[in-house]
Amino acid sequence: MSANIFTVLAKFYDEYTTKTPKKLKIIDAYLAYIMFTGIIQFVYCALVGTFPFNSFLSGFISCVGSFILGVCLRLQVNPVNKSGFHGVSNERAFADFIFASVILHLVVMNFIG
Amino acid sequence: MKAAGLLCMFATVLASCLALSPIDTLSQDDQTRLKGLFGQAIPFQSVSHAHYVVLGMATLGGTVPKPQDACNYLKNNMDVNDIQSIYQAASAAQVLGNCQVSLGAGQQTLTAALSESAEISDLFYAVSAQTALGLPVKSADVVKTLDAGLKRDDSILSTSYALKIAAQLSKETKVDKYFEMIEDIVAQGDTIDDTYLQFDNLQQASVFVTGAYALAAKVNKKPLISDEQAVQLANYILTRKATQTIRNAYYVVAAIKAFSENTFQVPVAFSLSGSMAISKADPFVKVGVSDLMSQSLGKLNVKAASVTSEADDETLASDQAFTSTSDETLYQLDLMKLKPAPGFFNIKLSATTTKPASKLIGLSEGEVTVKVTTEVSVSNVEVLLVDREQSITAKTVKATYPGKASTTLDADFHQNVVIKFNLADKAGETLQAHQTFVRVSNIKTGQEVTFTADADTSDICRFTLDIAESGKEYFNQQSGKYTIDIIIGDAIIQNPFLWNVIDVNLKFPETSQQQQADKPSQYSKKPEIDHIFRVPDKRPPIAVSTAFTALVLLPLLILFILWIKLGANIKNFSFSLSALGFHAGLGAIFGLFYCYWAYLNMFDTLKYLAMIGVVTFLCGNRLLRSIAEKKN
Repeated sequence: MSANIFTVLAKFYDEYTTKTPKKLKIIDAYLAYIMFTGIIQFVYCALVGTFPFNSFLSGFISCVGSFILGVCLRLQVNPVNKSGFHGVSNERAFADFIFASVILHLVVMNFIG
Repeated sequence: MKAAGLLCMFATVLASCLALSPIDTLSQDDQTRLKGLFGQAIPFQSVSHAHYVVLGMATLGGTVPKPQDACNYLKNNMDVNDIQSIYQAASAAQVLGNCQVSLGAGQQTLTAALSESAEISDLFYAVSAQTALGLPVKSADVVKTLDAGLKRDDSILSTSYALKIAAQLSKETKVDKYFEMIEDIVAQGDTIDDTYLQFDNLQQASVFVTGAYALAAKVNKKPLISDEQAVQLANYILTRKATQTIRNAYYVVAAIKAFSENTFQVPVAFSLSGSMAISKADPFVKVGVSDLMSQSLGKLNVKAASVTSEADDETLASDQAFTSTSDETLYQLDLMKLKPAPGFFNIKLSATTTKPASKLIGLSEGEVTVKVTTEVSVSNVEVLLVDREQSITAKTVKATYPGKASTTLDADFHQNVVIKFNLADKAGETLQAHQTFVRVSNIKTGQEVTFTADADTSDICRFTLDIAESGKEYFNQQSGKYTIDIIIGDAIIQNPFLWNVIDVNLKFPETSQQQQADKPSQYSKKPEIDHIFRVPDKRPPIAVSTAFTALVLLPLLILFILWIKLGANIKNFSFSLSALGFHAGLGAIFGLFYCYWAYLNMFDTLKYLAMIGVVTFLCGNRLLRSIAEKKN
């Protein structure tokens, strides 16, 4: 059973390293980075306390928001989804991502206190 | 059914019994006051004033001073174009006597007021003026006009004037239909509390009463007003006897006169004369029996049907004859002869006439309340010092009224001060006074505390001063010299008194006295109120937060490692203006965000953001477009 899972995982990793474009891997790295940052903040909050609460909240929201934007970017850039985003070039997607991030962080900064 | 009917009848009889005695009269004092009111209106301001004053004075049995002046005033000021003015002048002149008012040009006004379209009030003025001036009244024509007027207007005032008109018509005229209207008019009054029969205003009531009895005298029949209604109507009119206007005063006087001088219904008023307090020194219950004008009703036999104590409803005596006095309306009874106990008594009165007189209403309905007072004496006064715990009497001081005990008691907080005394009336019977107080006052500060002394089962009044308790509750633990008074009072006591009995040195516990001093006064300044911001929660140790800061930054490191490992395409970076501008712009935006967090406000931030944003957008647009074009 466990051997099964390992073979599945190994197969999955192989597929991922060989078949996924490099662009997407870079985005995936970014997403992983965001996710771990959020997790660490949450752990801090759970262990030490929520004070100051708005700082925690803005940090965490920043992570969640960035993650979502990152996922959106990945969806649009992925060649598999080309048909779904007809007329949206990779550059256009990246520009949207940058613009949305700027707005998100303006709000986050406003809330951080 | 029969029983119910009987009960109903009984209830009616009972109710009528209660209502048959007028509650007030126009006393001699009232009459003097009203005469004064009329007198103040001279010299007259108008013909109507003159009319009310002359008629009101005459009704009260007085005369107008300088009647010739009044007569001249009427002659000179009568308005010949106003039928009311003519009537008022003519009737006043008639009452004055020896005064001839000439109608002159008023004849035309008079004829107009007698025409068929005339108002009933104008008709009344015209007919009355004719009567007063001695002119013939054409009864048949008046009846016609009157009937026409009543069809148009059947208000209380108009129908009441109709009664007065009918009373002035010739003997041959049939006036029965007007006489029957009396019943309808009286039915329009409102009964209030079974005591008053109220009309809309005093004028209506007065005109109705005078008209009804005048017409009744003419047809020589008892008017269709029940005895209760007559008494209630009189009660209503008498509520207005304190009036300040001569018009209303005249209406009151005229109506009350009608109630006392008619031959059909004369309400009899029983009233207590003088003080209601009866004592050994003044043992007579004096009762006035009169008509409503306080005039004598002739010789009467007055008796007390029953004398009942209010406290226990016991009948002290019945059928006690009153004796007549020099004043014909006053009758008296020596109540003390019956040896009443002190207290309040209801006396039910009834009177009988020597010759039968059916016109008198309520001869057996009188009721007065008197109180028998007594002198109170206080005896067996003892002031005791009793130990609080063991009930041992430490000291006893006796005092006798009205002297003050010469000894001064010393009492401390382990003891109680007990005061005992008996109250008795003149006859030596024990008495319960309504107010029995013991007052303890501090001689130095003047502070007074009053306690009640309650009678125990053996009728001894007793008061216990628990020094320890009362010190806390009433005296602020102020040790020192106090004086004790006994205060006795009651409605039936002639000699209420305040007696200074004894001085006492009270000693309260020391310790609590100091606590008292430490306690800040409620008027002293309170500490100032400052706004306090919320105290921040405790922050975690610096080591923990630093460690987590490092931990949060760690994924960033991992990100760079991953990117390098993946081989991010940095070589493709072109050092064109747009590329530099785009990256610098992005960096500037995030730098601006830091500044915003650190010290900028929102407006400045947005201003700078717009500037940087435009540059970044333009550069980014160009860069990304060029990349896209290159790819294609």
